[in-house]
Amino acid sequence: MAPVKKPTVKKDKKQKREEYRAAMREEGVSSLPRKKFYRQRAHANPFSDHQLVYPPQPDQMDWSTLYPDYIAKDSQEIRAEGGSSDSEAAIPKRLTQDVEVADIGCGFGGLLVALAPVMPQTLVLGLEIRVSVTQFVEDRIKVLRHQNAETGGYRNVSVLRANTMKFLPNFFRKSQLSKIFICFPDPHFKARKHKQRIVSTTLNSEYAYVLKPGGIAYTITDVPDLHEWMVQHFEAHPAFERISEEEQDADPCVEIMRTATEEGKKVERNKGQKHVALFRRLEDPDW
Amino acid sequence: MAVPYHLLKACGGMVFAAQGTDIHSFNSNLEYVSTWKYPVKPTETTDISTENPAEVPTGATPDVSAPSTPEGPPAKRRRTETGTDNTPEPTATTTTTTTEVPVKKGRFHRSPVQAANEKPFINCLISSRDGRHLILTTGSDKTIWVLEHDGQGNLKQLSQRPMPKRPCSITLTGDGNTILSADKFGDVYALPLIPTSDPNPNPAAAADSGSSTPKPILSRSATPSAAAAAAAPAAGGFKPQANEFTVHTRRNLRALENQKLSMEQSKQLLKEAKTNESEKPSFEHTLLLGHVSMLTAITVGQSVSPQTGIPREYIITADRDEHIRVSRGVPQAHVIENFCLGHEDFVKALSVLPGSPSLLVSGGGDDDILVWDWLKGTLVSRAEVLKHVKEIAAEAEKVAVSRVFGYQTEGGETKVVIIVERVPALFSYTLNPSTNTLEHSGTVPLPAIPLDVQVLQDNKLLVAVDTSSGDYVSTLVVVSTAAEDGSTVQTTPAPNLPAGEVKYGAEELQKLLYTTETLRKLSDFD
Repeated sequence: MAPVKKPTVKKDKKQKREEYRAAMREEGVSSLPRKKFYRQRAHANPFSDHQLVYPPQPDQMDWSTLYPDYIAKDSQEIRAEGGSSDSEAAIPKRLTQDVEVADIGCGFGGLLVALAPVMPQTLVLGLEIRVSVTQFVEDRIKVLRHQNAETGGYRNVSVLRANTMKFLPNFFRKSQLSKIFICFPDPHFKARKHKQRIVSTTLNSEYAYVLKPGGIAYTITDVPDLHEWMVQHFEAHPAFERISEEEQDADPCVEIMRTATEEGKKVERNKGQKHVALFRRLEDPDW
Repeated sequence: MAVPYHLLKACGGMVFAAQGTDIHSFNSNLEYVSTWKYPVKPTETTDISTENPAEVPTGATPDVSAPSTPEGPPAKRRRTETGTDNTPEPTATTTTTTTEVPVKKGRFHRSPVQAANEKPFINCLISSRDGRHLILTTGSDKTIWVLEHDGQGNLKQLSQRPMPKRPCSITLTGDGNTILSADKFGDVYALPLIPTSDPNPNPAAAADSGSSTPKPILSRSATPSAAAAAAAPAAGGFKPQANEFTVHTRRNLRALENQKLSMEQSKQLLKEAKTNESEKPSFEHTLLLGHVSMLTAITVGQSVSPQTGIPREYIITADRDEHIRVSRGVPQAHVIENFCLGHEDFVKALSVLPGSPSLLVSGGGDDDILVWDWLKGTLVSRAEVLKHVKEIAAEAEKVAVSRVFGYQTEGGETKVVIIVERVPALFSYTLNPSTNTLEHSGTVPLPAIPLDVQVLQDNKLLVAVDTSSGDYVSTLVVVSTAAEDGSTVQTTPAPNLPAGEVKYGAEELQKLLYTTETLRKLSDFD
């Protein structure tokens, strides 16, 4: 009995989801998306070959669909003159400025939405590996942009599905970013899974590569062991130094990170602890 | 099944050819000299006995090895056996087995097919520049071997070092004193060519980044202080990582209580376990850098540093996810200088051109091979491969370049010869030094499928071919590069040698010899 019943229930749920999301995709939707139609298992395997879309190199990344309000004028004109020929399609439209802030594992996008009004002159990108969750953030930003049409708010934030552990250098050039946020990452409690953690000494080299000297990596977690792990691995890396408590508390982004992230709110509700650590990217020594 | 020579190395007038688990040496006239055989007897217990020579006699650990023998993944089992040096206290043993041998849950089962790859098969063969040392890696036991060459073709084993993960590609640094090993897991380790007795070089001693000793980046899994914490649960006790703040439901809280209780009980055990060091290899090895992807090739490039004008070394690594990364050499290997991005499928082979050391040629699953200015990270040119493969095999739709071999002819030309997996031909390209483009200068049809290629004197190429299919008998082919149209291909019959002691099935052999195409990603997978 149960095995017969179960699939039909599941299918209904799936149908509802699809219908809801299809409706969200239509133009002129003004209500914010609801998470319950976008839930997805909280873990993704960073080592598997997901069907990911990523540019072969940063110059071939088409940012124009993510930040349509920042397309460079001359880039648009060239495109208009040339029409829609194939050679034009190969060169993506340029933006007036580069993405400078990345939220790695942005989840449901709480931090992005909070950062948008705080740094209106900066392009902020959320990166998330889970498809449904990315879609939620996409729809959320779309509605927010629609709702704030007069002020032009939220034009500077966007989201992308990506596996940053593998493909961060495909999106960003050397020293492109000034801030990287790593908020409430998957703790991967089991020792066997530690290699899947988003912070490791070898991965930190890639964060150092995309961060400009003086740039900051922000981390926050509610798991003390993971906090310790992240601190140890960043401190062990010669390209990073930990930022002092005073400076950390003076940074407005820290408060946003504590209170605005979806996970941060959940921890707040459950009266959990939040551990914050910031690391500054140092100049590389001469070689 | 007769194993063909699958790896070649020409150095110092000698030629070394790997055949399964053996290495044969030949003199410059391709006359057989001698053979180094994989030490058969200690095969199964090699790594353990080297790690803990004192405590583990063969078969002393029946409790853990027995249950996993039939079809458990042998690669994992090896690590477990290290863990059993602990006194077989019930709790200790169970935690070790559950964490390290995933036999409990069905979805972690590896198919028995995996076992086909489990015989040690030589998968890398390089030599030091002076020809005095030969370095090789064997697949299933993940071991790096250093052999000494007496100059006459006789080989003597100097060391064997089992690595934590299977090495996929190795190279030597420019000074010839350090082996760089790139493994399946994405990490690059530095090992001294001649092992030192000191297993744990003091990290603090090398803290000055200007010093010549390699500055160790700590292991991926643990920093020293974390190692103490991490080693504890691995060694027997269990420490819950969750706390009252991260666990909210009543059931989970109760579970946490129980965990804490058992933790208290096992504290005593823990103390004992701590005296046993972690399962890390006991020889000196330093983690230099890592990708989150299987590494496929590693090489080093020499260049004048753009910052200081000093001649420096750089480490170039390629992975299955289309990346080629250029990092600084030791001791600043943590600094990524650039990525050479542009491949749209896996990268398998790299070659810094001997005549033009600023250029790197890379090949893999793409239709072209790519030429890079590797220090700048810029693509210089591309050379077609698929087009020329189609001239040999018209039905080919994609190619898997397995070897890219750059060399300088005696006339001073820079040439690149490539092998495309399962295509019975060599493709030769000549560098045009004014445009830095590779021009296809000839396709040499071969009587069988080539596996490896080396250059001999007089601009001749030595090719190892697979004789396991077809009726071609000679396993070595000499190609005279003077006539690249293939009209004067000479063949040299293989010396009569006793067959290797490890026998492989036909299918198994195919799997071991042709590994390049398997790197390609499946397109219908999400």
